[in-house]
Amino acid sequence: MSESRPFSLSLSDLTRIAVFAALVAALGLAGAVSLFGNAVPITLQTLGVMLAGTILGAWRGAISMTVLLALVAVGLPLLSGGRGGFGVFLGPSAGYLLGWVAGAAVIGLIAAPRRGARPRAWRVLVACLVGGIGVVYLIGVPVQSLVTGVPLAETALLSLAFVPGDLVKAVLATLITSAVAKAYPAAFGGRRAASSPAEPSISSSTTAS
Amino acid sequence: MVGALSLYAPGTSPLHRLPASTKLLGLLIGGLVVTVPRPDALLLGIAAAGVVALYLVARLGLAELGRQIWGVRWIIAVVLVGQLIFLPWHVAALTSTRMLLAILLAALVTLTTRASDILEAIERGLAPLRRFGLRTERIALVLGMAIRAVPIVIDLASEVRDAQRARGVGGSITAMVVLLLVGALRHADDVADALAARGMDDDEEPVMLEGSVRPRGASRLRLRR
Repeated sequence: MSESRPFSLSLSDLTRIAVFAALVAALGLAGAVSLFGNAVPITLQTLGVMLAGTILGAWRGAISMTVLLALVAVGLPLLSGGRGGFGVFLGPSAGYLLGWVAGAAVIGLIAAPRRGARPRAWRVLVACLVGGIGVVYLIGVPVQSLVTGVPLAETALLSLAFVPGDLVKAVLATLITSAVAKAYPAAFGGRRAASSPAEPSISSSTTAS
Repeated sequence: MVGALSLYAPGTSPLHRLPASTKLLGLLIGGLVVTVPRPDALLLGIAAAGVVALYLVARLGLAELGRQIWGVRWIIAVVLVGQLIFLPWHVAALTSTRMLLAILLAALVTLTTRASDILEAIERGLAPLRRFGLRTERIALVLGMAIRAVPIVIDLASEVRDAQRARGVGGSITAMVVLLLVGALRHADDVADALAARGMDDDEEPVMLEGSVRPRGASRLRLRR
C-alpha cells in the first residue's frame, strides 16, 4: 500500500467486497449442513468468513464482513436461520460476529502477506485455524460470557462443541481456496486484466470435485 | 429491493414516525439500562413492562411480541442450558430475561424503521469523518451494492446446486462452494467492468446505478469442464 492515500480501493475491490458480503449471507440461507450424520449441524457462514479472508485479503475481507454486519444491523435477515436486526448484537453470539471482522483480517494477513500472490495451501490452513477459529473465539467467548453471565472458563468449555465443525470448515476453506486459485486465477490478481493465462499454477493438487 | 428482504413491519404509529437516529439513540440508552446494571428482578420487571408498552404503542400487538420471542427460542434455550449447568437458577433466569429484553428492544427498532432510513442515518452520522479523508459516499455505494448482490448470489447458488444435481454429483460441498465463488467473483468483476465502462473511474465520485448486471457466471460454469 504505497499509494498517496494510506488505503485506497478500486472499483473491482468495491464490487468484490459487496459480493462477498452477499455470499456469506447466501451461505447462511442455505441452512445448516449436517456432517457426521446428524450429530453436529453446522452452517456454512463461517466458511464464508474464512474464504473472505483468504480470497479478498486482510483489508478487503474485513471491510466485506463489516458491510455484512452493517446490513444485519439495519434489519436485513442475513444471518443463518434468517436472523438479523440490532438484536443479534445484544445476544450471546455478538462477539463471534464481531470476531468475523478481525478474523477475516488475520486470515488475510497470514494467508497472503503480499497482494497478488497465489496462496500456499499450508499458509491458508494455518490462517483459517488462527484467524477463523482462534481470533473468532477469542472475541466471541468473553462476550458470550458477559451476556450470559456464565463464567469465562465454563463458557469456553461450552463453546468447544462448535470446534469440530469449525476445524472441518478450515480444511474445506483451504481446499476451496486452492481450487478457486485454479478455476479463476484472477481471484488473487486483483483485476482480471492483471492475470496472465500462461502463468503456471502453484497451488496444490486439489480439484473441485 | 430492501423492502422485500427486510424485517420492517410497515405502519404509521408514533414509533414508526420517529426519526431513525432518535430510535437508534433510544435503543443505545435502553440497551445500556437493561444490560449494564446487575440483573435485578425489580428493574427487569419495569423494563419488561416498558417493552410490552412500546410494542403496543407501535401497534405491533402482543402477537408480534410473541412472534419475536418465538423467533429467538433456540438462542434462549441454548443459553439457559449453559447457565443452568454453571449458575444458580434465579441468576440464570434473570440474565436470560435481561438478554431477551435487549433483543426485543432492538427488534422493535428493526420492526418500525425502514432499512433505507437506518442506512441514511448511518451515512449522516459518518459525515463528520469526511474531514479525515473517509469517503462516506463510497460506504453508501458498497452497502447498496451488497444489498443488490444478495438475491443475485442466492440465485447463483441455486443454479449451481441444480447444475450439480443434474450432473449427479450433488454431494460435495467443496465443489458447490467453488462454483459459487467463481460465479460470484466473476459477477463482481463484471459489475466493476460495467461501472468503469459507464465512466465511473476508480478515483471519481461514484454514481449510483439503478438495476444490476445479470449474473452470467452460472450459465457459463455449466459449459466448462
